[in-house]
Amino acid sequence: MPIKSSTITPEKIYKKRRTLIAAGLGVLALPIVDKGYAWFNGKSQENSMFLPPQPTTGEQQQKSLELTPLETITGYNNYYEFGYGKDDPAKADKTLITSPWTVEIGGVGADKPGLYDIADIKGEHAIENHIYRFRCVEAWSMVIPWNGIKLADMIKAAKPNSRAKYVRFITLNDTQQMPNAGWANGPYVEGLTIEEAMNPLTLMATGVYDKPLEQQNGAPIRLVVPWKYGFKSSKSIVKIELVEHMPQNTWWKQNDREYGFYANVNPQFDHPRWSQATERVIGKTGRQPTLLFNGYANEVAHLYPDKNNRLFFY
Amino acid sequence: MILRPLPLATQKHLLNIGLCLFLLWGIYDALIGPDLVSELRDFTGRYGAYLLLISLLFTPLSLRLNWVKRHLTMRRNVGVWGFLYGVVHLVVWIALEFAYDWSLMLDEIAGNLFILLGVLAFILLLPLAATSNRWSLKRYGYQPWKNLHTLTYVAVPAVIAHHFMAQKSDVLEPILMALVLVIVLVWRYRNAH
Repeated sequence: MPIKSSTITPEKIYKKRRTLIAAGLGVLALPIVDKGYAWFNGKSQENSMFLPPQPTTGEQQQKSLELTPLETITGYNNYYEFGYGKDDPAKADKTLITSPWTVEIGGVGADKPGLYDIADIKGEHAIENHIYRFRCVEAWSMVIPWNGIKLADMIKAAKPNSRAKYVRFITLNDTQQMPNAGWANGPYVEGLTIEEAMNPLTLMATGVYDKPLEQQNGAPIRLVVPWKYGFKSSKSIVKIELVEHMPQNTWWKQNDREYGFYANVNPQFDHPRWSQATERVIGKTGRQPTLLFNGYANEVAHLYPDKNNRLFFY
Repeated sequence: MILRPLPLATQKHLLNIGLCLFLLWGIYDALIGPDLVSELRDFTGRYGAYLLLISLLFTPLSLRLNWVKRHLTMRRNVGVWGFLYGVVHLVVWIALEFAYDWSLMLDEIAGNLFILLGVLAFILLLPLAATSNRWSLKRYGYQPWKNLHTLTYVAVPAVIAHHFMAQKSDVLEPILMALVLVIVLVWRYRNAH
């Protein structure tokens, strides 16, 4: 039986067969991708990528602090001592020895310097629960339920004198326990003014979601300064020094054009390479506006009289 | 039994399947990770840039290495896949990172040189990807086609610069990529003169 010419695929279309197959597959895949997207964002019908995003105002953000899941908090980290990738710290072998652990408090500004065992620190002070926004300088954010004690309480125990103008924090730097220790040519250093350190918002966190901190989150004790970019909240702290002069923190030393001492969150002052006006909430899609002092202006704005001084905001 | 190399067409199919599976694996890995958006964005961006850079290596290496010379036409597969990874990269940025907030995206492009470079590179690569087929080569003629495709030497440097500027601190990898690129460009320039 002869083949009817009408059943033969025209050459033009035949030649485009691969493109057509690819396009067909692409269209077929869209609902699946969209389902995956909705599933990823909490099985909600509202979370279709075909619908426009719901705008978020600063006020709405203040009211609804939706907690970031624990798996996300423990899975997405910047902790270069355990690798540069965001999932390196979570995947690294659990080599950090967190018990016994001591924190040394000293410096010229401390009249009663001392060595504090982590168990004693946890025993002596009431563990408080604080839900804080966490804003990374890389323009992403989380909401984290911390457990910890006020840094002010630890500092008061060391009897600060009038020479205590700044506080310097040293992170453990041990090649035996951290595969990428020494990436910054020395330990990770951070610093605060004494006023910032004594602010009631400033925490020494020992846990998240009522569980002890995991290695990738800075076990067993870390700083949390919620109105500053995340790199200020240094991890696995072994030493706290009360000093007279402004300490040079690691990122400032690494790149003084892009990072400074204060690093207060401010949507108006962009990073030299990217905008700080909005942020990506980890595990979600779309962006939300960033708030001045990360939403803690009422508590800390008085510490920075000059709102237009860039020094305070990078 | 003597092992004979597979026909070139089969090798190309295998390359296509391999690069497609690698992309699917990247999507799967991002879906099970803590942050789909940044993982998929960085995966497709990084490997797209690698593929585009590799596509530029074919011509200079083919003069020295017979193996590359025999597989010279694979250059197109590698280049087009580099572009396709870039398409996914862009879709992730538009749909997942910015959730179709066009005004915010425009602000981002205007305010950030590295985003602008990425967008420019994509626009430059569009006509190249569209004409990466035998039909276009025949239709436009070899010389005009070749002239158009010298745009890769603008687009790929823009891609590498974009990749470089996207890093927070560890720039060894983009520096090595830039080094390879400079060698290719110098070789190209000296060969043309």
